[in-house]
Amino acid sequence: MIRALVLLFLAWQSPSPEALQHMQAGAEAEKNRHFDVAIAEYRKVTELEPTLAAGFVSLGQAYLENHDYGGAIVPLKQAVTLSPELRPAHQLLGYALLAEGYAAQAIPHLEKAQDTAALGIAQLETGDFAGAVPNLQAALSQRPNDPDLLYYFGRASGLLSKQSIDTLLAAYPDSARAHQAMAENYYILRQMPQAEKEFLEAIRQRPDIPKLHLELGLVYAGSAQWPKAEEAFRAETKLQPGNAEAAYRLGNALLQQGKTREGRAELIRSDKLQPEMPETLYALGKADSLEGDATAAEKAWKKVIELEQTSRLTAQAHFALAGLYRKQGKADAAQQEMEAFKKLEKTSTPPEAPQQ
Amino acid sequence: MLKTAVMVFALAAVLFAALAAPVLEMKPRAGLDFILRNSPTPQKYLIETMPGGVALLDYNRDGLLDIFLVNGGRVTSPMQIPENFDRSDPLYWNRLYRQNKDGTFTDVTKQAGLANAGEGNYGMGVAIGDYDNDGYPDIYVTNYGKNTLYHNNGDGTFTDVTEKAGVAAGGWSVSAGFFDYDNDGKLDLFVTRYMDWDTKHSKTCGGEWHTYCPPEEFPATTSILYHNRGDGSFEDVSQKSGIASKKGRGLGVAFADYDDDGFTDVFVANDGMQQFLFHNNGDGTFKEVGMEAGAALSEDGRRLSGMGVVFQDYDNDGRPDIIVTELPREIYGVYHNEGKGTFSYQSLETGLGMLTSGSSGWGVGLEDFDNDGWKDLFVAQGHVLDNVEQIDPSLHYKELPLLAMNHQGRFERTDPGLTAPVAGRGAAFGDLNNDGWQDVVMTVLGEKPVVLLNPGGKNHWLVVNLRGTRSNRDGLGARVRVNAQTRFATTSGSYSSASDKRLHFGLGSAQTAKVEVDWPSGVHQTLSDVHADQFLDVTEPEKP
Repeated sequence: MIRALVLLFLAWQSPSPEALQHMQAGAEAEKNRHFDVAIAEYRKVTELEPTLAAGFVSLGQAYLENHDYGGAIVPLKQAVTLSPELRPAHQLLGYALLAEGYAAQAIPHLEKAQDTAALGIAQLETGDFAGAVPNLQAALSQRPNDPDLLYYFGRASGLLSKQSIDTLLAAYPDSARAHQAMAENYYILRQMPQAEKEFLEAIRQRPDIPKLHLELGLVYAGSAQWPKAEEAFRAETKLQPGNAEAAYRLGNALLQQGKTREGRAELIRSDKLQPEMPETLYALGKADSLEGDATAAEKAWKKVIELEQTSRLTAQAHFALAGLYRKQGKADAAQQEMEAFKKLEKTSTPPEAPQQ
Repeated sequence: MLKTAVMVFALAAVLFAALAAPVLEMKPRAGLDFILRNSPTPQKYLIETMPGGVALLDYNRDGLLDIFLVNGGRVTSPMQIPENFDRSDPLYWNRLYRQNKDGTFTDVTKQAGLANAGEGNYGMGVAIGDYDNDGYPDIYVTNYGKNTLYHNNGDGTFTDVTEKAGVAAGGWSVSAGFFDYDNDGKLDLFVTRYMDWDTKHSKTCGGEWHTYCPPEEFPATTSILYHNRGDGSFEDVSQKSGIASKKGRGLGVAFADYDDDGFTDVFVANDGMQQFLFHNNGDGTFKEVGMEAGAALSEDGRRLSGMGVVFQDYDNDGRPDIIVTELPREIYGVYHNEGKGTFSYQSLETGLGMLTSGSSGWGVGLEDFDNDGWKDLFVAQGHVLDNVEQIDPSLHYKELPLLAMNHQGRFERTDPGLTAPVAGRGAAFGDLNNDGWQDVVMTVLGEKPVVLLNPGGKNHWLVVNLRGTRSNRDGLGARVRVNAQTRFATTSGSYSSASDKRLHFGLGSAQTAKVEVDWPSGVHQTLSDVHADQFLDVTEPEKP
């Protein structure tokens, strides 16, 4: 693309026949990946035609292709001096500067070139996360599976998030949101006592913030403190009666305590709020089974299998169905489900290693 | 008026609960000075956290239960290769305590010939059974190293007959048990082995926390089945019986005939993997059927950290159920026997989900502590990691044991009889003072064993002492029904421990009982109108 633009530009500038000859020799060498030869040919072009921007662009590009980013900078700078509107020159200069670690200097050139991917990376390098995120997102929309872009976008988003939180913590260190942010961080680090403390402080200040109680409940559920988890999830469902996850979590906490009937009601409510959520359906199947409603349990677990097919939850649903059929004396059906379970066990995410 | 009555009733209920006598009481026994020396080191050698067993047996047949305790050994830091564990040092001996008539104990280890635990052995567990049918209980000690079989000479002394018997095993054995798998009237021996671990290849895990490694860090290994030839020697039939066809990480073992086919089956509690249920095919072979029978994984199909196990009937339906103790976050597994050779997972239904999700369980027993006719649950508890609080403050290295009373199949926690948490491991059950109320002896890492005596109450009881003639002399493997209850005769189960071979039944208010015995020989015996509150000797009829 850049080469085509340069050639177009070259035709418009009409260089001397000798310069044109070196230009063609350089292009041929470049094509054959003889970059040293290409650099020598393009250098002659720039000597013969010192005002020809295209010659400097070609020289710069040859340097870049030879991975000599430092060498590329001088001719490319000359190119943009000669033709300030020449986008390929800006783009290549931006790349060269970025590669050499001069991200801040690269940015204006990449802006002129409208290269959102490289611009986003440069902004990320300079700490302008807020600027980097939309640019990288725009680039990703063009190349959604580019691993480099996915990496830089993830990193930029994470750093932007951290920057916001850092700002929050610095400006309002004792605010509810600051405590929530710290709690979430501790939760990720699996430092549960600290997470619990911070969530509780956040709730003390702002009990009305959505998700706070839910997150606190997850801390308790993680350490099997089911009565406390129930209390937290119940508070969340009161705050957000339309939150299907809160209803599911509450239902599950109730089940764990043997409060089957109440748990089942909550799981049914969750299923109504957000139908076809596999986790809810699986737990609902358990509740149905505990309540002695084998038909409903079978239906719920079969639905999980229909929705998920190969996940760990699907394996669990097969396992649960095997137990159900075994209890009903349906040996063949139980065996079939066990086989499906075993097969999935080998392929799906392995169960968590027991904690010692 | 009504409101006042309700309040008075509520107050009375609270007062009654507060004043209710404890089911078990911690009673240090004079003379019982044993300390379980596990020798914890900064290197965190895994064996250090795994001992030790306790057995209740009447070795001298004076009618009083005596106590045998397995010791660990001295571990140098870092370990010497090969480590000898200093078992010749009296500090690290296993100990036999004879019970005196006044309830005190006397250390008779040396005079009984049990002082030699064997250099290179680090002690783990104990099994009790009269393998030569001479009427005296013999002792089998499991070790990291070589196991030891002590023959009871009947005169208060024991002889190490390991070599002659051919039961040294090797590797890392934990729990063991005597049972008669082929109903030939001679007790065979099952030995669980934990993993393929040795002192040379030990390692530490947990990164900066420096912890004992989880079992997955080491290769699984096989359990061992020894067939009793009847001449004082045993044959290793692990391969030909099919037991060695499955590699596991066996910690606990328990026996019962779960499918009522007349042959005793084996349940092995494996750590960090599926549990094994070895179905006895009746022809000298076994088939592992845990998965198919529904007794291998959790309710959600997850692997369990099985440690201790009990194989008895908790809901009085006549069929043996399985309870497996595990690590926190897993909840102890209750596998209810549904009949027809299948089980269903019922930890939540029985209330154990709430009671056990934060605990680590080891020795376990189903015993009717209040003699109400329902077997209650006792579990020795304490986390594997001695620094677990640093990693997760909600977990504890030292815990109170769990005592949960059985209310028609649903368990509810009650005061376990001691106030300070301990690092509980083995647990054995029996009636130490012959008052008709079951007692407990629990081992504690680094400390003296805990003796929990049952103060008793008003309910009636019956203790059945089997004497086999065609069957093995201990009657192990017999199914005994007393009124509405069933027990399966065994000394095994729990964790690395052996309980009183006598079968205890709570009778509630009943003053008489109907006793039915299905002997391993196939003989069915019925005794009617048996008076309550007695120790009943039941001898197997010579002819059916």
